[in-house]
Amino acid sequence: MDRRDFLGTGAASTAGMLFFPGNLLSKDAKDENIDRLVKPLPYKMDGEWKEFELYIDIHTHEPAPGFKYHTLAFNNMVPGPEIRVDAGDKVRVKFTNRTDLNHTIHWHGLYVPWRMDGVPFVTQLPVMPKNEFIYEFVAEPEGTHFYHCHWGTLMHMQAGMFGSVIVVNPDDPIKRKFPYEREYTLVYSAHDTNYIREEMNGMLERMKQRSFLMKEGRFTSDQWAVFDSKEELLDSMENGYQPPYLNNRRSISELPQAQWFTVNGKSYPSTPYLFIKSGENIRIRLINAGAETHHLHLHGHDFWMVADDGVPIANPWKRNTVPLTPGKTFDIIVEGKNRGIWTFHDHDTRKVTNNGLYPGGNLLALVYEDLPEDELIISKYSGNPMYNPNAGRTDMKEMPDMKKENMNGMNKMMFGQDKLPKIALDE
Amino acid sequence: MNKLILIALFFTGLACAQITPEFEIGAKGVFSGNLNLNSDESSAVSDFSDTQLLMGLRQKLYNDWRAQFVLGLQFPDANSNLGEVFYNNIFIQLEDRTNIVKVGRTLAQTNLNEFPTLRDDDAQRFTYALNPFSDGVNTERDQYANVLEYTRIFKQRFFVSVHGENFYDSIEPDDFRLNSMGLTLMYRVPESQQWNRNVVQEVGLSYNNYFTDRPGYTDDFDASVKNLLFSTTINLKPDPINFIDFRFQAIQNFGWDEVSVLNDYFDYTRTESTALFGTFRYLRQKLERPHFQLAFGGGYKALPNLAIDSDQLLFIANGFYRLGENFDVGLQYRYADNKGFTEDLFGKSEHRVQLAIVYSFSRIFNKQFGDREDLLNLEHNYIR
Repeated sequence: MDRRDFLGTGAASTAGMLFFPGNLLSKDAKDENIDRLVKPLPYKMDGEWKEFELYIDIHTHEPAPGFKYHTLAFNNMVPGPEIRVDAGDKVRVKFTNRTDLNHTIHWHGLYVPWRMDGVPFVTQLPVMPKNEFIYEFVAEPEGTHFYHCHWGTLMHMQAGMFGSVIVVNPDDPIKRKFPYEREYTLVYSAHDTNYIREEMNGMLERMKQRSFLMKEGRFTSDQWAVFDSKEELLDSMENGYQPPYLNNRRSISELPQAQWFTVNGKSYPSTPYLFIKSGENIRIRLINAGAETHHLHLHGHDFWMVADDGVPIANPWKRNTVPLTPGKTFDIIVEGKNRGIWTFHDHDTRKVTNNGLYPGGNLLALVYEDLPEDELIISKYSGNPMYNPNAGRTDMKEMPDMKKENMNGMNKMMFGQDKLPKIALDE
Repeated sequence: MNKLILIALFFTGLACAQITPEFEIGAKGVFSGNLNLNSDESSAVSDFSDTQLLMGLRQKLYNDWRAQFVLGLQFPDANSNLGEVFYNNIFIQLEDRTNIVKVGRTLAQTNLNEFPTLRDDDAQRFTYALNPFSDGVNTERDQYANVLEYTRIFKQRFFVSVHGENFYDSIEPDDFRLNSMGLTLMYRVPESQQWNRNVVQEVGLSYNNYFTDRPGYTDDFDASVKNLLFSTTINLKPDPINFIDFRFQAIQNFGWDEVSVLNDYFDYTRTESTALFGTFRYLRQKLERPHFQLAFGGGYKALPNLAIDSDQLLFIANGFYRLGENFDVGLQYRYADNKGFTEDLFGKSEHRVQLAIVYSFSRIFNKQFGDREDLLNLEHNYIR
């Protein structure tokens, strides 16, 4: 038996040991993927109003297996559930604050009445601990939008307080142009989990003191750092008040530096899969709810840019990389034209890391459901003649120290089963 | 040669280290001008004793425990016989949510409370169970020891600690054997919640057994010096702006009957005594930061077994005003009264006035995980 025979036999026997078909194409993989996608928020009708309930609480979140941190989570999930309504719907959102912190909800990209815009001390007072606020608005304009907390935004947003709002146009021009059945919402964010922990602990401690003083009616503008006018602020400073941004109260080294990058609250290898079939169009709604720019690149395809901040683009154009800046939404259409498993990731590769280690972050995969399971077998389609006797390099000689009888065991030891894809955590 | 190999291995290990640990730095600078009246001790223009620097390196272990290496140094009193610098903290601590193991030199559990005095040793003879192996030339040998401690935490607030120590022995300074053992029980409210406890912030009880060589006794227990400590901190006004607490500690040294005369410090630590010490503290906060603090307190120590009436009295009052983040200016008055043998040993009664500037700073850099007593870990699931 020469080397090629050996490898061929080895591959066949390894394939025979596989859970065939490959896991990624199995029903289990699709079922598990549901947890990686945003969850729709159910509503009930009250007359003409679609009534939703959102609450916020402190939650322990696990973006990747084994790493947990405390988050602020709408309805105990990061991101918060997706609010999906038709354009023109009357929307009522009952928001309950179950935490000891203050919050609001800002409806990013929506034409809400200004008193519903969720900016504390500009459009409303903050929703205090254990309080609630009813947001009411008509859903417009159509498109991909999101909601997020506008109190302590720097910390509260990266702590998890964001979720998607989809306003559907029943006569959607995008759907007419690119007929599709399936769509995905991908909410991107970036998190400095150490900053989140330290800030949240500090805020919780301060709020305990403030709540105590509020109950006793002894809370002052100075303590709250809230003033009715600039004159009042200046008067207060004349009397010794020191604004908290001054160098004698705060050092400049305290801005967050994200080290976890998530899609739908998950980092690789927990990121979602995007399933597609050959000949199918899928719509992907991209939302950046974080404070970092993500240069998203899809392998093996161009995609159509069809909406910008929810606004349909009259003449869509093709791209394979899109810079998703903070606060931005883009809708793209992927045409199923190149069967395979393709990564879709931030090309600023610093953000394809978990805690500084590549790979991780927002690395995810576009998966063709009609990919023959057979193609997942490494030894059948590898370009490396050591694994595949039909690879292009037919004259490759066996490495002298690689004994034929050991090859199969060595590959299995190094790479596991004879199939792709694999989860690699340290490249 | 072996040493060279070990050094090479050490530095190779450093180069390959994967984790940059959390780096904690703590500093305290105490600079005072001292005016001593009716005292054997001279006044001082610039006294910077008790100034110290502390460095800690901490990281998570594979099994979710945390490990910390701490190195600290202190500038002792000029006449302490400890040199210019005393390394007061050199220890390693391993801990998880409910267990703490500590090995090395650090503060011994011979004091259960932190009293609001300018320097840690301002009321030393009243607030510490004193080291019976020390000649009393300095206070550090009473405060610090080479320790081996295990603490188990129940329900976040109950601490049970079994500890053994090697206290410095002035007669046999090269003896590093275990010469003390003890058991400490503490109820302590986490620091972040201390201000809003209605009454009890802290209660503790500790028993320390020093394995002394008592002439005429062969049994270790009978030959030992035994101390029992009780301590408590009570919130008199739990308020975030106007906070008042009362701290109290009592130390009963069961002593040796045969010590009825104080010839030296050994006798002082080995005779029966009862020390009581308490302080009232008012802390005013402004903009959620300390603004100023006023405190006063006093102590009484009775030594009933001595041939002539000998007791000690201490009164302390001080005030601190925050000049800016980390910097305080303070004024302290202390009156110490020694009677009987204690006057022979420690000098006559004295008045001391100190005007001080104090710098205190503690910060953890490269933070990577939460502490056991973070509010998030206490109230919203502990993250291992």
